[in-house]
Amino acid sequence: MNVAPRKLDLSGWDDRYEELQRNGLREPAYGGPLRRHVVRGKDYRLEQLQFDNSPAALRLWNFLLTENERLHRARAGGEKIVGTMKDLGTVPVMAYSLPGLRAFYPDGAWWTPCLMECSDRLLQQAEAMGVDASFCPVRAMLPAFENGEHFPKPDLLVCSTGAVCDDFSAIAQRLEHLGHAILWWEIPRRRPPAAAEPVCDLPGNLAAPKIQVDCVQSELQRVGEALGGLAGETLDDDLLANGIRIANQVRRRLGALRKSVYAAPAAPLPALEMLVAEMLAIHFCSDRAETIVVLDALLAEAQARIRLGRFSVNAQAVRTYWVNPVADLRAMNLLEELGGRICGSDFMFSHALDLIPENLPPLEALARSALADPMAGPTADRGARIVRECQASRAEVVVVSRIPGASHCAREGEIIRAMVRLRLGIPAIELEIPPVCDALLPALGSRLQALFETARARRTK
Amino acid sequence: MIYAGIDAGSRSIKAVLFDTSQNRTLASGLADQGVEQERLAAELFDKLLREAGLERSKISGVVATGYGRNAIRFADTTITEITCHARGVHRLAPDARTIIEIGGQDSKVISLEEGGRVRDFSMNDRCAAGTGRFLEMVALRLDMDWEKLSMLAQQSTKPAIISNMCVVFAETEIIGLLADGKPLPDVVAGVQNSIATRVAALAGRFISPPVFFTGGVALQSGMARALEEVLACPVRVAPQPQFTGALGAAVLAGTRGQGKP
Repeated sequence: MNVAPRKLDLSGWDDRYEELQRNGLREPAYGGPLRRHVVRGKDYRLEQLQFDNSPAALRLWNFLLTENERLHRARAGGEKIVGTMKDLGTVPVMAYSLPGLRAFYPDGAWWTPCLMECSDRLLQQAEAMGVDASFCPVRAMLPAFENGEHFPKPDLLVCSTGAVCDDFSAIAQRLEHLGHAILWWEIPRRRPPAAAEPVCDLPGNLAAPKIQVDCVQSELQRVGEALGGLAGETLDDDLLANGIRIANQVRRRLGALRKSVYAAPAAPLPALEMLVAEMLAIHFCSDRAETIVVLDALLAEAQARIRLGRFSVNAQAVRTYWVNPVADLRAMNLLEELGGRICGSDFMFSHALDLIPENLPPLEALARSALADPMAGPTADRGARIVRECQASRAEVVVVSRIPGASHCAREGEIIRAMVRLRLGIPAIELEIPPVCDALLPALGSRLQALFETARARRTK
Repeated sequence: MIYAGIDAGSRSIKAVLFDTSQNRTLASGLADQGVEQERLAAELFDKLLREAGLERSKISGVVATGYGRNAIRFADTTITEITCHARGVHRLAPDARTIIEIGGQDSKVISLEEGGRVRDFSMNDRCAAGTGRFLEMVALRLDMDWEKLSMLAQQSTKPAIISNMCVVFAETEIIGLLADGKPLPDVVAGVQNSIATRVAALAGRFISPPVFFTGGVALQSGMARALEEVLACPVRVAPQPQFTGALGAAVLAGTRGQGKP
């Protein structure tokens, strides 16, 4: 790190990229200037964003925005592609345990209309396919499967069902009706163990009846057999244990990054880059090994900035705990422009940040991790974790963001807000952020400003 | 010292001149909102100054709030409606613990701590069904002014049930009710109940009394009663409810002018 942290728009990054190149920037194969993602990839939203100026951030963005290209290249190179849907961070651990398999989340296509400012017309095409705007933006994956313009058609499609949101189930079933065969595996709704019922501890201070863990384990066994069939090699305990060990390397790095950035006196990395980085926990952006390199670079940058006392957001910013990912990335910039900073987050996959137990038979360990998914259990469990993390991170406010149409739990915002309010007494608001929020920026800004005013007023006794 | 607060709302602009040494409002006024927000606000501000017999130079500070606050460039600073309504209501009723503000195009529920500090707040962000826009639509459909609408609601004996959550669909429902011979007062009271229900949903389970009702919609007879019924607690209409935001802005201009947070 040799320059002060700054936020740059795309033009600023054009200059910065040239400067870095002059100074001998070394980039991976997917590297290059950010501008090309607008010119070639039509990711127009990038023109409205402010990016961190570090080479580590450049690498992160290039990694994120080249996922489809890299997937096509992997397919061309003979690798088998596994589309894993709905479960957050479980099946990819299994797929990457086998040689020659590469997993990705086709449902991640929900971000494509956001990045391309709907120029891809995926949402409109989904509507024409009978899945309208009352459904989660994940519906964007339906036309993406059909038109083949984004990700390659997977060799195997795996989707969890059961304790998942209704919208997702409906969309995935529509996909199957369109002729895309799906291997379904079931995850039960996590429940508290009954008295005298054998219990299993789960990551994240949770527990579940052993019978539920057994159920998930047998379902994952089925998935493992299908993956093994595709790879031409049995997914045995040794392979899976090694896959878990490497997945945990990713999770440990993310844990260290979150701790460094969120606990620092001021934010060494912006909220936007942290959101993108956290997402790597579940999907590895289709390259597990490179995920580790990308995270190492970010962690090194954050630690160097902390050491030098150079921050991206100042220490007076209001410490904000953010719940749920945003459809429009612009919202993360807005948060900081209005005087906030992220001090903690729950982007719906907190279980994928926890280490998978390495002292248990690997499939059972993975089953326990899968069952700890906040989407598979009551919102109160999720709320309890959010409260704990808010306390630990000295959050001053909580923002629960919603994506129009996404209804994994229609009342989760109210439940989380109520828990935060009762147990912590700090203000918490809900914001609905659509895929392109330009027209709503004044209204969103007003709410965030009011929240930060409230927090600042509370600093003075 | 005299301070000014300007609340540039979505439907109207409100302004208040407040004398901190006498701790009283010197003048208040309201004008329709329009495209040229700053000019309209400046005209209103000048009108109040004339009424109070003051020159602009006598005003020690101006705070703008409301939806159009950033357009008021002659203000010294801007503060959001949440903070301003809280301060305005606290100034009028220091015991207030909950504020319900229903404006032209949004509604808010603000929880206050002792001392008037904002504890938490909620704002509607999905539709117009919990706002004054719903009543405006009804007034337009019935070709009736705001005051007459207000008086009609008082005559209701059995408010109609408006089941649609969408204002546009609710309009169709209202036409149907009237065509079926439902008395006009009952339809208007039904609309008021519908708005109250939406606002109660916004408030969730956190209504602490005393509850104060502000914003232009608080001037509608029957709205406070409708809120009382759904919230199951007394609701008091703030004095001059349409001016609490502007009053709060003027009071905050004063405290900031005196170097207080």
